[in-house]
Amino acid sequence: MLPNARVCLYPRDPAEAVRVMVEHGKRALVMAGGTTTAMSKDPGFDTLIDLTRMGCDRIELVGGEWRIGCNVRLHDLGVHPGIRKLWSGVLSDAARAVGSRPLRNAITLGGNVVGLFRWSDTPVALLAMDAVFDLVGPDGTRSLEADAFFARHPRQVMQAGELLAGVRIASDDPHGCGAFCKYARTEVDLAVVDVAACLQIDEQGRCSKARIAVGGTRAVPWRAEQAEKKLLGSKLTRRTIESAAATAKQEGKVLSDVRTDRDYRERMIEVIAGRTIERAAASCKERG
Amino acid sequence: MEIHVKVNDKPVTWNVSPGEKLLDVLRRDGYLSVKFGCGEGDCGACTVLVDGRAMRACLLLAGQVEGRAITTVEALGTPDAPHPLQTAFVECGAVQCGYCTPGMLLAAYALLRENPKPSEEDVREALDGNLCRCTGYKKIIEAVLLAAERMGRS
Repeated sequence: MLPNARVCLYPRDPAEAVRVMVEHGKRALVMAGGTTTAMSKDPGFDTLIDLTRMGCDRIELVGGEWRIGCNVRLHDLGVHPGIRKLWSGVLSDAARAVGSRPLRNAITLGGNVVGLFRWSDTPVALLAMDAVFDLVGPDGTRSLEADAFFARHPRQVMQAGELLAGVRIASDDPHGCGAFCKYARTEVDLAVVDVAACLQIDEQGRCSKARIAVGGTRAVPWRAEQAEKKLLGSKLTRRTIESAAATAKQEGKVLSDVRTDRDYRERMIEVIAGRTIERAAASCKERG
Repeated sequence: MEIHVKVNDKPVTWNVSPGEKLLDVLRRDGYLSVKFGCGEGDCGACTVLVDGRAMRACLLLAGQVEGRAITTVEALGTPDAPHPLQTAFVECGAVQCGYCTPGMLLAAYALLRENPKPSEEDVREALDGNLCRCTGYKKIIEAVLLAAERMGRS
């Protein structure tokens, strides 16, 4: 219950949304699916801005890249046939890993990305897939690559009045494959560790590209770059994968929280990274 | 603010704060099948359908449902003419205290509309957001599968 909310606005496109966000500033609660914002009791909000009716609800393949609008609900993303094939379904698996079905029916891709929590699942997949983030703001449009977009929390990267209109992902080549694994206490619980891996294998069967993203362990998802280096040029044997996974757990600070402490989380990074890379490598072999 | 919705196919106008929870508005308006459980989106007791999709009424603000069609379990059947899902729940012993049942029924109803022949896995996934502290879920899943089978035959 927002005690002082008097009006709800429904911008019809991103440009109108930017205009009303700038006009109402901090007095407006900007919401998408609302699964986190609806819990607010802040008396400072007198206006709601519902971003779910901007018409950005398409998933389409245009000129060799997938374009996913910010209003796409996670359930629809999780079952989309094209997204389920893209990088072996890394993003659709991440979308299906989020909470329960009623939550996935409500949560939008834009909300899951911009309202990033440590345990948010789809940002991990988008970082591994090297997605591009299209922003619309008072000064026009701009696009950020995943590494820049997740360098800090998206709310710090985005300027006041700016919104995420959609993401773009290059359609993978025939040698690309991936995997996403979530580790949580139960199927519907928040992630303790998430790992997404996107790999490419050359004609000699060696890894020519590797992006490993880890979530659940810091404020923003991060790339296990040292682990990626271990995979590059290798034939993805069990030994190489184990060595890369062991490296991933040593790549910087991991947080403790009520779900689990730092030590256990670090061990789980190794286990889940190993499992994810192994699954990605297995999909590569299946695809030949 | 005036919010215009359809509740169980009936046009309704609410004069409410757009920041009020849909759960509170519906219960005040007499839709008492929509239960308050945890109030934070975990238990599914307040599940309603919004444009045919199962969602949490405790995580929706009234402003968000402007122009939408809301379905509560009051629309499913009556004591004299229950919906096949309701009949199956009773026959299978899928109801004990009953507090979670309206949410379970609506999640199952949404599933059967999109997938009339669900597998057990499909049923488990569709009901993954509804907690029951009495039955242990086995009977609930059996009931949904039984209703699907009967609805497929009729």
